[in-house]
Amino acid sequence: MAIVGAGQTAFGDFPEKGVKELFAEAYFEMLKSVDKGLDPAMIEAAYLGCLSAGGGFQLGQLAPLLLGYVGLPHVPAVRLENACASGGFALYAAVCAVASGHFKVVLAGGVEKMRDLSGQKGRYWLGVSGDTEYERLAGCTFAGIYALMANRYMFEYGLTRRQLSLVAVKNHRHAVANPKAQFRRAVTLEEAMEGPMVAHPLNIWDCSPTSDGAALVLICSAELAREFTDRPVYVAGFGAAGDYLALHDRADITKLRAARKAARAAYERAGLGPGDIDLAEVHDCFTIAELLAYEDLGFCEEGKAARLLEEGHTSFGGRLPVNVSGGLKAKGHPLGATGCGQACEIFAQLRGQAVEPSRQVPGAEIALSHNVGGSGGTATVFIYRGGS
Amino acid sequence: MGAHISVPMYQRAVPQRYRLVGLRCRNCGRVNFPPKGVCRYCGVGADFEECRLSGRGTVHSWTLIAGAGAPPEFAAEAACKGSYPVVLVELDEGPRIIAQMVDPPEEGPRIGMRVEAVFRRIYEEEGVIRYGFKFRPMT
Repeated sequence: MAIVGAGQTAFGDFPEKGVKELFAEAYFEMLKSVDKGLDPAMIEAAYLGCLSAGGGFQLGQLAPLLLGYVGLPHVPAVRLENACASGGFALYAAVCAVASGHFKVVLAGGVEKMRDLSGQKGRYWLGVSGDTEYERLAGCTFAGIYALMANRYMFEYGLTRRQLSLVAVKNHRHAVANPKAQFRRAVTLEEAMEGPMVAHPLNIWDCSPTSDGAALVLICSAELAREFTDRPVYVAGFGAAGDYLALHDRADITKLRAARKAARAAYERAGLGPGDIDLAEVHDCFTIAELLAYEDLGFCEEGKAARLLEEGHTSFGGRLPVNVSGGLKAKGHPLGATGCGQACEIFAQLRGQAVEPSRQVPGAEIALSHNVGGSGGTATVFIYRGGS
Repeated sequence: MGAHISVPMYQRAVPQRYRLVGLRCRNCGRVNFPPKGVCRYCGVGADFEECRLSGRGTVHSWTLIAGAGAPPEFAAEAACKGSYPVVLVELDEGPRIIAQMVDPPEEGPRIGMRVEAVFRRIYEEEGVIRYGFKFRPMT
């Protein structure tokens, strides 16, 4: 399978745009990115991730609504939902559909409209990503669940408050060079350590924002790729897995078994290992989540994530830059769009196009993306290889 | 409204919320709480007997939910207290569960501290008071 086109809106606050306008913007950018052009009639199916279409205004059949808006009413289209990993699972479904041989050209994408919600409604709605019946009734929030993971990790491995903040500082610094990012503003370590508390030890700078946005990629079979471009990005490996949704049902809360299993499947399929990765876009919904991702993806040993970060290996210019886009933390996190937004960044990076202004990782050939649903109830991992 | 627990949904879990009723697997003997359709320990047992948990356990992790970040049905409580502690407790019978903590020590909850379940008012929604368990430090 290959990615031959990709488009995404900027992530952020767009009061003048609804889900249809956001989707269309990503769609037209995707069309423009196909070097040798795409006749839209070739699109055989579409898989779109979305948690809730603006808090549930379009309860059913969102995908055909969006396809109809861009003149493709007859394409079989379906919305997939796995909370924050909805986009990753849309991409996974699209890749599986092409791998099966049933389709040759499909769209994978996602959209989310979060900024229309009042603060109160937003907090109601984000509660659904875990096991609502038990976690929510404890008065626990989504940030609270990651806070429980963070405090346990700090207890087991001696992670410090300062080290958590270094994740925010790095990803905000990266986002400055990304025109699609929601927060193109660096943050100092002092600021990041002293933000208003959300759920101890996590403060506002440890949390990703609510965002509007859409992202789309065009997937085709490897044989067809050169008909669309001389620079395809191949999907070398892909994996997906699940876990108990409730944190209390997991034996170990300092690792995400779903992410580990998805990563193992992706590495095996690609015939590659963590040491082969030139850059990664990982799911940093909270700062602690990026550190857990380093270990779940095999970038370092257990308990050594903070060291990898502090030594600068995961910063732009390091040996394994992580979230050069700014990540969920600073590029933004429009839930359903996030997973395919990561693929859009990698599509640009592996084609040498992340240059305005430059955040291009020099000589990058192999990349990885990691998308997590809720607190680790689901996860997808993809490995990409540049084809130029 | 979004993710909220309706009154009928709450009522179905009254044995768990009021009396900590778990399910002992007849295949492996371990206790599942909250209930499962298939035992989460042996992965095959689907035949259970009810058992009541002691409510005693050890804090596995903790957090403080700050006022501005609380779910709306807990907002009044958070506004009044500034923040409230939530603990992930490993019960002596094995299962873990999340709940609020009452009467936390002055220095806050800590991992490894012994706690016991107490019956408390949790919150009010749709005109119905929702009761359930919280944890307090064991004396």
